[in-house]
Amino acid sequence: MTLELQHIGRRFGERWILQELDLNVAQGECVALLGASGCGKSTALRLIAGLDQPDCGHVLIDGEPMDRVPARQRRIGMVFQSYALFPHLTVRGNLDLGLRLRGGPLQDRQQRIEAMLDVVQLRDLADQRPGQLSGGQRQRVALARALLRDPQVFLLDEPMSNLDAQLRDELRPELKRLILDGPQPVIYVTHDQQEAMALADRIAVMRHGRIEQIGTPQELYDAPSTTYVAQFIGRPPMNLISTDDHSIIGVRPEHLILDGAGMDCRVLNREWHGASQQLLLDSPHGSLRMICDGGVTLGDSVRVSWPSQREHRFNASDGRRE
Amino acid sequence: MTQRRFWIVLLLAWSLAPMLWQLISSFSSDEALISAGRVALSQRWTFDHYRDLFLSDPPFWRYLINSTVVAAETTVLTLVLALPASYTLARLPVLWRRGSRLLITAAALFPYVLLFLALLEIARAFQFGNNLLALALPYAALSMPLALLLLSAAFEGLPKDLEDAAQLEGLTLIQRLRWVMIPLIAPASASTAILVFLFAWNEYPIALTWISDASLLTLPVAVARIAGSSIYSIPYGAYAAATVLGSIPLLMLVLIFQKQIVSGLTNGAIKG
Repeated sequence: MTLELQHIGRRFGERWILQELDLNVAQGECVALLGASGCGKSTALRLIAGLDQPDCGHVLIDGEPMDRVPARQRRIGMVFQSYALFPHLTVRGNLDLGLRLRGGPLQDRQQRIEAMLDVVQLRDLADQRPGQLSGGQRQRVALARALLRDPQVFLLDEPMSNLDAQLRDELRPELKRLILDGPQPVIYVTHDQQEAMALADRIAVMRHGRIEQIGTPQELYDAPSTTYVAQFIGRPPMNLISTDDHSIIGVRPEHLILDGAGMDCRVLNREWHGASQQLLLDSPHGSLRMICDGGVTLGDSVRVSWPSQREHRFNASDGRRE
Repeated sequence: MTQRRFWIVLLLAWSLAPMLWQLISSFSSDEALISAGRVALSQRWTFDHYRDLFLSDPPFWRYLINSTVVAAETTVLTLVLALPASYTLARLPVLWRRGSRLLITAAALFPYVLLFLALLEIARAFQFGNNLLALALPYAALSMPLALLLLSAAFEGLPKDLEDAAQLEGLTLIQRLRWVMIPLIAPASASTAILVFLFAWNEYPIALTWISDASLLTLPVAVARIAGSSIYSIPYGAYAAATVLGSIPLLMLVLIFQKQIVSGLTNGAIKG
């Protein structure tokens, strides 16, 4: 099972929401579409699902062009940000509706639903309605429904953004076990870089309807191709320092070091995170962020530099890596 | 708090007092109704008006049945046509949707009494006179604008994700409507149904002109006949009793559907 996007374009009126989108997702691979809201990542997902049609280009599932295949025949397992559970049906009813109307025999359906209820640990809640469930439980119902679709492709649209941080940490392994470890290609849309880095095999950073860079999380971290990617991947974001020769030097906060021979900076702000602390420094090149673990206090003067192999260089005019 | 209670009581008195008056009148003897002075208690209350209504020819329950048949028919016909139409309306592109809304609103605001002569011609041409089934046709047509506006607003109010999810679950358009969309707008359908039923139940000019056979009269026309049966006296008691009887089915209907109208069935569809 594979997924392929060939030169997809989509416009609303005169405005192109997506342009020249090319993407190959291999069997069992999870690609995260990462970007700020409005970058076109959700539109891309809807095009793959068949809920929207591209103005040019093709979606191929398992090598088959989907141009004439309506959404309901595409065998897509989708988890919506809102979960989109049917509020008038019980958990069991939600799982059964599609199976029943697609014409599965009763006994077979019941068996699969009961087995699935065990997998997502919702057996005790099977007769509740979605309104009576917590956010995490609703999400598990949504996952179960997507799994029962026998999908060829999984599409996850910000599946965790309605959950609090603790629940997200709990559900991540579950998501991995249920969906990401399967043989289907997975597209995972998110604006949370940490989630993308934790779950995806590759990340496609999107901006203005285009893929700005695609690669493994490590590749994006080690060699961001533009200043946009550099600032989007890694937290806190990379420091960018303009130089005189029309280029921009990028240094990650965690790569700055205290060095007696470095530039003279003053500590403007200090956030203590336990294992480390984040400093905001006033340097000759403007303000810099720095992660360090030394005993630095507010108002101190410190000398800071960075190893030259940790330095990224970008062209000042277009922000591309030099 | 007490002040709010005062206004509520005042409002209730304002709207319920006339009905209470009718109720009392319907059980009052003719003497009690027309004499200003005091009437002996033994002659104050009576069931005569109700008895007379059921002893008349045709008996009064005949009209109740006629009206129920016409109103139920109208309601079913209106919903069967308006549900798919309003779904389509809700899915139109914005400009088309606004344009159609405007036209429909204009139609809803049109004083339909002006139509009754034209409708009478139609009834004559198609032999629709004295036919309870046919009477539901103009009623459904006249109810359509209101039903379309209410139901399409309800469809638009449903989260888009729900229909998308149903589509990805493999449901066809008809299946999505039948199993997801229409059940979810049940509260709106119920209130629409009541309004349509009410309109058909109360409608006067078309019923008056389309129906002449005494055994096929609907309630409003029949009640008006009682009221105008004599030029020398107005039968207040019989009139009041007929009004009370005519209101009971409506009250029951509202009580039965109260839950659907009020319930927020879509709660919990989206994030919690």
